[in-house]
Amino acid sequence: MNAEIARARSATLPTLLRKLSWPELRHHPWRNGAALLAVMLGVALAFSVHLINASALAEFSAAVRAVNGEPDLEIVGPPAGFDEALYARVAAHPQVAVASPVVEAETYAFDAAGKRVPIRIVGIDALVIAALSPALLPRPADAADRFAVLEPQALFLNAEAARRLEGAQSEGRIALQAAEGRRRLRVAGSVAAAGPPLAVMDIAGAQVALGLVGRLSRIDLRLAAGAEREGVIRDLVLPAGVRAAAPGEAEQRLSNVSRAYRVNLTVLALVAMFTGAFLVFSILSLSVAKRQQQLALLGVLGLPARGRLALVLGESALLGLVGSLLGLVLGALLAAFALQVLGGDLGGGFFGGMAPALRIDLVGALVYGGLGVGAALVGGWLPARAAQAIAPAQALKGLGPSRLGHRSIALGLPLMTAGIALALLPPIAGLPLAAYASVACLLIGGIACIPGGVALLLAAVRPPRRPLALLAVERARHDRDSATIAVAGVVASLALSVALTVMVASFRDAVSHWLDTVLPADLYVRAAIGPGGGDLATLPTSLPEAAAGLPGVRRAEAQRVVRASFDPARPSVAVISRPLDDPSRNLPLSGTLVDAPPGETAAFVSEAMVDLYGAHAGQRLLLPLPDGTRRQVFVRGVWRDYARQYGAIVLDARDWQRLTGDQRINDIALWLEPGANTGDVEAGLRRVASELGHDGALLEFAAPREIRAASLRIFDRSFAVTYWLQAVAIAIGLFGIAASFSAQVLARRKEFGLLSHLGLARAQIVAVVAAEGAVWTGVGAVLGLALGVAVSAVLVKVVNPQSFHWTMDLLLPWLRLGALCVAVIAAGTLTAWLSARAAIGRELALAVKEDW
Amino acid sequence: MPVLEIASLAKRYGETAVFVDVNLVVRAGEFVAILGESGVGKSTLLNCIAGLDRIDAGSVRIDRVDVPALAEPAQAAFRRDHLGFVFQAFHVLPHLTVAANVGLPLLLQGRGDDARVQAMLAAVGLGGFEERLPQTLSGGQLQRVAIARALVHGPKLILADEPTGNLDPATADRIMTLLAAQVREQHAACLLATHSRAAADRADRIVTLTPQGIVR
Repeated sequence: MNAEIARARSATLPTLLRKLSWPELRHHPWRNGAALLAVMLGVALAFSVHLINASALAEFSAAVRAVNGEPDLEIVGPPAGFDEALYARVAAHPQVAVASPVVEAETYAFDAAGKRVPIRIVGIDALVIAALSPALLPRPADAADRFAVLEPQALFLNAEAARRLEGAQSEGRIALQAAEGRRRLRVAGSVAAAGPPLAVMDIAGAQVALGLVGRLSRIDLRLAAGAEREGVIRDLVLPAGVRAAAPGEAEQRLSNVSRAYRVNLTVLALVAMFTGAFLVFSILSLSVAKRQQQLALLGVLGLPARGRLALVLGESALLGLVGSLLGLVLGALLAAFALQVLGGDLGGGFFGGMAPALRIDLVGALVYGGLGVGAALVGGWLPARAAQAIAPAQALKGLGPSRLGHRSIALGLPLMTAGIALALLPPIAGLPLAAYASVACLLIGGIACIPGGVALLLAAVRPPRRPLALLAVERARHDRDSATIAVAGVVASLALSVALTVMVASFRDAVSHWLDTVLPADLYVRAAIGPGGGDLATLPTSLPEAAAGLPGVRRAEAQRVVRASFDPARPSVAVISRPLDDPSRNLPLSGTLVDAPPGETAAFVSEAMVDLYGAHAGQRLLLPLPDGTRRQVFVRGVWRDYARQYGAIVLDARDWQRLTGDQRINDIALWLEPGANTGDVEAGLRRVASELGHDGALLEFAAPREIRAASLRIFDRSFAVTYWLQAVAIAIGLFGIAASFSAQVLARRKEFGLLSHLGLARAQIVAVVAAEGAVWTGVGAVLGLALGVAVSAVLVKVVNPQSFHWTMDLLLPWLRLGALCVAVIAAGTLTAWLSARAAIGRELALAVKEDW
Repeated sequence: MPVLEIASLAKRYGETAVFVDVNLVVRAGEFVAILGESGVGKSTLLNCIAGLDRIDAGSVRIDRVDVPALAEPAQAAFRRDHLGFVFQAFHVLPHLTVAANVGLPLLLQGRGDDARVQAMLAAVGLGGFEERLPQTLSGGQLQRVAIARALVHGPKLILADEPTGNLDPATADRIMTLLAAQVREQHAACLLATHSRAAADRADRIVTLTPQGIVR
């Protein structure tokens, strides 16, 4: 019987949405427009971050593929390269069809204004390159000049290099920073390789220009048909430090470099989507609360409880769908703009500042559009359940408002407990996934506890004696869902804002203190090396001594930086050699020092080395040296390094020179006499460098103040997106308060009308609503502050170390947090006051006659 | 032929009995008024009949269907197809036009019938009011809208709960005349809950509800 009756003809959901929901949505364009806007902004932010990441990775991968070609196998050496004698042996192997030797390094070219442009120099053998890396095949500008490809002074630029160096040619030549100083080379044509600035040279010329005579960076191999890869590797018996790498390893390494940064950006964008979901929740909750009698009437007339649930969910889905579609369009536009203005890494510095073309990803659009609809459905779920739970007969009499969450506290407490437990878990696949889940559990759990918390608070309040206060308290007791929504809005938005404020403040403070420790000198000099070009551009070894003798210079200390690869799948580690008289003072240590056993070489590792390679203090580590061998060092201590996410090791200069025999230096730190003129010191040093055979004009000077300012500028740019998110979160919270109080005031117009009849002035009524606003926003601010601090502790103490392998102290900027809370309370009170004024300003006396 | 059969019906809220042993039969086309003091449970009785409130004992059959025994979705579907309601407080949807309000039961059934809606509006004297919004109507006009809505889908039974409670005596008189006439014209049965003797006098039969049951 049940099934037979229930199967009877009924209206479809689209019909109900069109006939019943659409007039309601249209009647409140601003309110529903805000929900739409929130979903749209959330989707736009998330989709734009996805597009930027995908476009940058695709562009960079294409560039890597263009440079590396598509070999079957790559023979790669340490950063300093390997002996080119290996090439003859490899090329002679019977199962090697083609062997292409490559030498490469990063350095600078000088543009028309004399400014340095980072450029990668790739030396190739033009006779074999076409088979393996056709994108690197030189194309002479003059067809008749075919032999230019073998000319040691000839350069072939890719499109980006040609663009950046336009106008820089003088007599057909451009200047490059080479091993021995500035070097002028002839631009003879172009190469097809896409991506960042790149110049191809004949391998012999490149070896000379890069100071790598007799060395190779890698050999690309095409194996003969039927050749067995592992067998060839075995036969070659590669020397120490040289290994066979699988194709695609470089792309994977690149992806790994920026992965944590990209995931963090994506999570931040998803947070924006969460706030959008919360606004949908606020708006639909109030809409359901206001429409309770209408929904009850539909129930009486035959719309079943499930139908009411579907109707409200349908409204959420509609808001989500339209918001998502608009968000996808806006996201694509934002991504195109950001790629042009900020580059593919949004200022993060992972993709060398290139500006990739936007690649629209349809699968990504479906995923993020789906997430937008999903977020709106999540936001609409509780209001829809409230609509489903309406008791029609009771509700038609204006009795028994539905409750949003009797059981929510039962859900909230376990969620918060789970949040704490998840924060204690280690990273998953190198990412703080459990910590993100912890933040989500804490936020959702904290918000879910609010109805119960509000109920407990109201239970503790005695009925006041003053009539207005009595009305306010009893009203809140009777209809606590409205108060809950207002408080939850404040808690959600403030918790997010507080968490982001504390995280950014802690990080900024840590970086600032760290800069003070790592920049103790008055002036820094470097050889203007390109990224990773520590072996290419060095300073004369006697320059520190000569510098120390200059007038105004008290002390000079040299530093050597080279790269070492512990794991081919990971980016290389920086090895820093410098005088370490007192490591506890010279390094920003994050733990205690362990004494090195006699006869062992002491090393000090950054925190990333502990996370990535398990190099704890007191352990021994096999350090890869530039010649490909490994030497054991003893880890004496761990230090904080906010500059190198993938690890750094500091050795005393004497130990480094003893291990490697490498006397070269890259940087010099100068301590000046009081009152010394920095300009005079710089000029003196350029002159001394030139006297020692170095191009003094190439020296780069930086004062700690400038380095500090530049570092903090980069920091602020990287975190700009968090400020935007805070603004959105606060705006959403305030909108939630406004919507909540407007609805409450409208629902109470009869009550206020009656009070007006009984002799109460409008100003008194408005004042009591404003006071209620202050109290509820105050409660929300306290809870939001507590929840925000808890979330920030997870971000600072778990997410950061697991993502970037560095730790920091939790800094609570109480003044800013207090100002944030006061601003929210003031805004909440003002919003309530304005809502009351607007609602009561109309014909109040008539309100008692209103049916709705 | 009986449309509504109530036997030994009892309802309590916690320990307090609202009524016990209510027995009543309403035949097709019959207009029955239930008189009773405020708070005696007239509205609760109507809610129990419609499946909007749970019963504690007895049975309610409408057109031989045991309504309380149905699951909630089936109860809702049954109300949608077989019952009409008129309330004291009108309960019209403020954002829908007069025609859309009257057509609401047809909409929920998944069938639009503009001609039927217009005919019902003409029958209650609101021809030409189709596109007006509820806030532009008087109380009497709103109750006419509610009567048209209660009858538009041709229900077998109308449940009217104090339909004149919010109206002045003259308007109440006109509304009761209209309700009785329309119920008869549509061949529906009607159960009117009221405390007004004047309204009850329009019925074919008057019964009185007391906590002990129906007194004829």
